[in-house]
Amino acid sequence: MLTQRLANIVFTILLLIACIWFAVIAQGFEASGLLASSGLPSKFFPQLLLAFTGLCAVIIAGLYLIKGQAGGDSGETVFANFAEARRGLLMMVVAVACYFVWKRFGFVPMAAVMGPLSLLAMGVKAISHYAIVLALTVLVYLVFTQLLNIQLT
Amino acid sequence: MYGDLQALMTALTHLAQPVSLLLLVGGIVLGLVIGILPGLGPPIAIALALPFTFYLDTVPSLILLLGIYSAAIYGGSISAIAVGIPGTGAAIATVQDGHKMFKAGQGGEALGFSLTGSIIGGLFSVICLALISPLLAQLAAKFGPREYLAISVFGLVVVVRVAGKSLSKGLLMGGLGIFLTTWGLDELNGTERYTFGSYHLYEGLPLVPFLVGLFAMSEVMIGAERVLNKIEFSDSSLKVKLPGLRQLSRMKSVLLRSSIIGTIIGIIPGEGAAVGAFFAYSEAKRKSADPDKFGTGIPEGIVAPETANNATVGGALVPTLTLGVPGSPAAAVLLGALLIQGLAPGPRLFAERPDLMYSIFIGLFLINILMMFIGLIAIRFAAKLIMVPTSIILPTVMLLSFVGIYSVSNSFFNVGVLLGAGILGYVVRKLGYSIAPLSIGFVLGPILENALRQSMTIADGSIVEFFNTPIGLTIYAVLLLTICWDRITALLRRN
Repeated sequence: MLTQRLANIVFTILLLIACIWFAVIAQGFEASGLLASSGLPSKFFPQLLLAFTGLCAVIIAGLYLIKGQAGGDSGETVFANFAEARRGLLMMVVAVACYFVWKRFGFVPMAAVMGPLSLLAMGVKAISHYAIVLALTVLVYLVFTQLLNIQLT
Repeated sequence: MYGDLQALMTALTHLAQPVSLLLLVGGIVLGLVIGILPGLGPPIAIALALPFTFYLDTVPSLILLLGIYSAAIYGGSISAIAVGIPGTGAAIATVQDGHKMFKAGQGGEALGFSLTGSIIGGLFSVICLALISPLLAQLAAKFGPREYLAISVFGLVVVVRVAGKSLSKGLLMGGLGIFLTTWGLDELNGTERYTFGSYHLYEGLPLVPFLVGLFAMSEVMIGAERVLNKIEFSDSSLKVKLPGLRQLSRMKSVLLRSSIIGTIIGIIPGEGAAVGAFFAYSEAKRKSADPDKFGTGIPEGIVAPETANNATVGGALVPTLTLGVPGSPAAAVLLGALLIQGLAPGPRLFAERPDLMYSIFIGLFLINILMMFIGLIAIRFAAKLIMVPTSIILPTVMLLSFVGIYSVSNSFFNVGVLLGAGILGYVVRKLGYSIAPLSIGFVLGPILENALRQSMTIADGSIVEFFNTPIGLTIYAVLLLTICWDRITALLRRN
């Protein structure tokens, strides 16, 4: 299983790269006209925070590299087992997929597949759960469209 | 503020409206339900209800959210006592004695003690809120950018210190949260920052979708991982037995001490209900004539944490309402509700909308009284709620989050932010980071940036002038004392 040490080192490296990228973008923040010379430049605060976040990322990466832990998670793994990892990650995929289904095909198809797909992602086999979730979906739809008068397209 | 009879009458009129009364009861019921369900805590409960407040007036929407907030903290104790799984983080301390009493066949007594303690703590903190906040608001009216900068730094540092086991991880999350608020047009000179050519980002990342994503969506993904874990539970002793006056009088010192601890811890920005509950529990144990009995299933072990965690509600509202600095993650979401209503929490709100303040104080008082009766009824149905499979709750929470956020602005962009924040929350939680500093940083970011830039202008490059403010210096001194407190006490003990 993926260890906290490895996952955190990769995460902090990615975060550092992102910080550098955002800091470079911030260099281009220019105010125009009369407001250009008023107060601190717009890039100051974001760059200050990026430097701070980057520094924290370096410290955390250092802690994992030297001590092997940060906050007493030595030897711990990100997921308890493969099944747990599969369920969590599949749920994330379902959420993203439902977003695109809604954008592409509309609300009703998205609402119809969200419940069953989520249950499949969680490995639920009981048919009754599928029926209850679909009933709740209908209820949520009716509350928003009929009670709150919201157009869900 | 006090003495304004017209404002008081306006507040009472607002509260007496059928919609307000309905939402008062509805908020308590919803809060209890979400509190009882393991995994869904007060911030998630408030976050899920937040989109609905777009369609409500200010007073009814705040009453709804305050009802949810108070009841969700209490509701967590029911599952903590009945199944040994705390419904909320605030109820973790209750598990030790509460579940032991339940297993020993004294579940009714345990539930009675938790309900009574919660009500007493809640009422005590409302009185403190009503007494302290106008005074603090008067003081805060004198605050300038440097003082606001100091109080924001204080709030953020304290959150970072208590959230999670690693200080550097907490700092990183706080920094990231503030950084994300720099997206959008610069308020001072209109410069585009990280808009990536999208007009959606001109106003920056929207607060409500971000907070709902961070709390609710990340919980859906985390919850999905352990969804098949079965809950062992017998509902044989799920009947409440309220303690008599003699029993309560025997515990008056525990009740008073825990109420004070909870309120004070609530006032300190960032210290949530869980910290208050643990602190009150350890204090009750320390002061007890028989400390070894704690953890074996005694009423004091339930009363102390339950009184304190509900007392943090009123306490957390003190900095939220007077300074605009949230006292806890749940208060940060509540702050978002005030912003949705076009209100800027802070000292001016007390002068401009005294009726709203009266409504909050009286409403919170009523919530605590009503919670007694609704709580007694809710416990009868708790058994059925505890047995509701998480696999049914999670897809419903996800759908509610999607629809709720979309309905606010009919914007897919906001749903995208919800999703992005959810994935960010899930990833960082899996890697051992706390999302509390991230959420508080996201709320405090704009205050911090404006205060810093205005302070720099006032100071005109002088470091001395930057700190030349008695209130600001006091806040920094208290912050330093808070940071060094453990070392000072250790040093004193050694000497």
